[in-house]
Amino acid sequence: MSVLLEISDLVTSYGKIEALKGVSLSVEHGSITCLLGPNGAGKTTLMMTTAGILRPKRGSIRFSGSEIAGRAPHAIVAQGVALVPENRLVFPAMTVIDNLQAGAYQRNDRAEIAADGERMFERFPRLKERSAQLAGTLSGGEQQMLAVARALMSRPKLLLMDEPSLGLAPLVVEEIFRIIAELHKDGATIFLVEQNAHLALKVAQHFYLMEQGKVSFSGTPGALAEDEVIRRAYLGSAKS
Amino acid sequence: MLFDLLQNTLDGLAMGSAYALLAVGFTLIFGVLRRVNLSYGPAIMFGAYCATWVHLNFQAGVLALALITIAGAALAGAYVERLCFAPHRNGSAIAAMVASFALWMQFEELVTLVMPKHLYDFPPMLSADPISFGPLTLPIEALVMLGCALAIGFGLQRLLYRSRFGLAVRAVIDAPVAAQLAGINVPRILMQVFLLASSIGGLAGYLIVSTHTQITPMLGMWSTLKGLLAMMIGGLGSLPGAIVGGLLLGVLEAHSQWFLGPQSRDLLAYLLLFALLALRPFGLWRARHAETRA
Repeated sequence: MSVLLEISDLVTSYGKIEALKGVSLSVEHGSITCLLGPNGAGKTTLMMTTAGILRPKRGSIRFSGSEIAGRAPHAIVAQGVALVPENRLVFPAMTVIDNLQAGAYQRNDRAEIAADGERMFERFPRLKERSAQLAGTLSGGEQQMLAVARALMSRPKLLLMDEPSLGLAPLVVEEIFRIIAELHKDGATIFLVEQNAHLALKVAQHFYLMEQGKVSFSGTPGALAEDEVIRRAYLGSAKS
Repeated sequence: MLFDLLQNTLDGLAMGSAYALLAVGFTLIFGVLRRVNLSYGPAIMFGAYCATWVHLNFQAGVLALALITIAGAALAGAYVERLCFAPHRNGSAIAAMVASFALWMQFEELVTLVMPKHLYDFPPMLSADPISFGPLTLPIEALVMLGCALAIGFGLQRLLYRSRFGLAVRAVIDAPVAAQLAGINVPRILMQVFLLASSIGGLAGYLIVSTHTQITPMLGMWSTLKGLLAMMIGGLGSLPGAIVGGLLLGVLEAHSQWFLGPQSRDLLAYLLLFALLALRPFGLWRARHAETRA
């Protein structure tokens, strides 16, 4: 398998505080790679830097061969990277349909966009029922599905997902992970940040553990160290 | 008495149309930036002075003067966006507002430097006779103003809800970070909204100075205040509200001018602003989160 996303020695800071202190990791083509870690480890910062919302201080982000670190978010979307952000961030005052249209903003192929919209409605039947409703009136789970569908509307080569299970009921979380597995089966490459380590390790082929702005551990799920990884993902390592 | 009331209402609706356009431009900028642009009016004044200068030095038709006002206001608006708002997009709202105040002073100094008289004549739009319905009279200009306000109002609504540009503008208003993540070039949209809003403001400016048939540097402050006031009456950030707010302000002013004397007109406007801020800081109709907040 080839590497689709390669991050090396990435440093991002908020003022003087470094949230990422030299992160290096890679995501292979066609894989689900998952990033675990306790609150405040810098996972969201890494996602926001990769998507171009935050500018890194140092380091490189190579996506299918080209450097994207520090480029504008719309340019990164044009390269084929889409982020499903933490807390979903749908457009609350716009209809479900308009949310999907906005996701396809950079595309010009009207017929194909319409077809993709139909495909989203097949994958997420709840969204179809609510297609004319304002996104702000949807439930948390529906908003999460809308956020995923919106990101898919740009036809990304890499889907970044930041805590898709956050604040959702267990049944809805299961549904979201079922969708993630489905997307993977259809060939998508997914880089997933997740607090719910048990669920994440079930779907991922590779994982990284991040603590205090650095990758502290990486491996493949199923290895012996899994219990220790899960403990540290929730609680941080003993020295913290 | 009844005819006075009707006549005042007609006159007020005409001037109110210009206020509505001012407020629409203001609302667009406020909507995408969540920042108050104090230089909005002065940019319009700059455009109107460009037209005045052309009028004094060359022969120019009515349409040319209107277009020059619009183009000048748009150019000045772009300048304001680059200098005040682009650098502070993620930073301090206060810094952006103070910067826009500084540009206001720049525009005033510039026009008084080039055209030092306090007051210049501005050619009227038309010199046709007004239409009369019995005792009521209605200048053709008033119809043009109302027509402009309605056309721009409907046109904007279509633009926002039927075009790719409109989709992007609504997305930026709704959730700027999400708009960036959806692949929208947000800085470019902001610049385009500034150009659009300043052009609409420029049209309003032309309608106002050609009605008053004179221009002073006070036009800048005056436009910012009227636009802000009409926007506040209509509920911050609502386009239909801005139009209703503008028309209402025009009608109120016309009545107070008739019944309380010409000096009372602006006094009433400022009293109203004060009362609104004290009692209903989100406008008479608070813009709902949905739909109206375009």
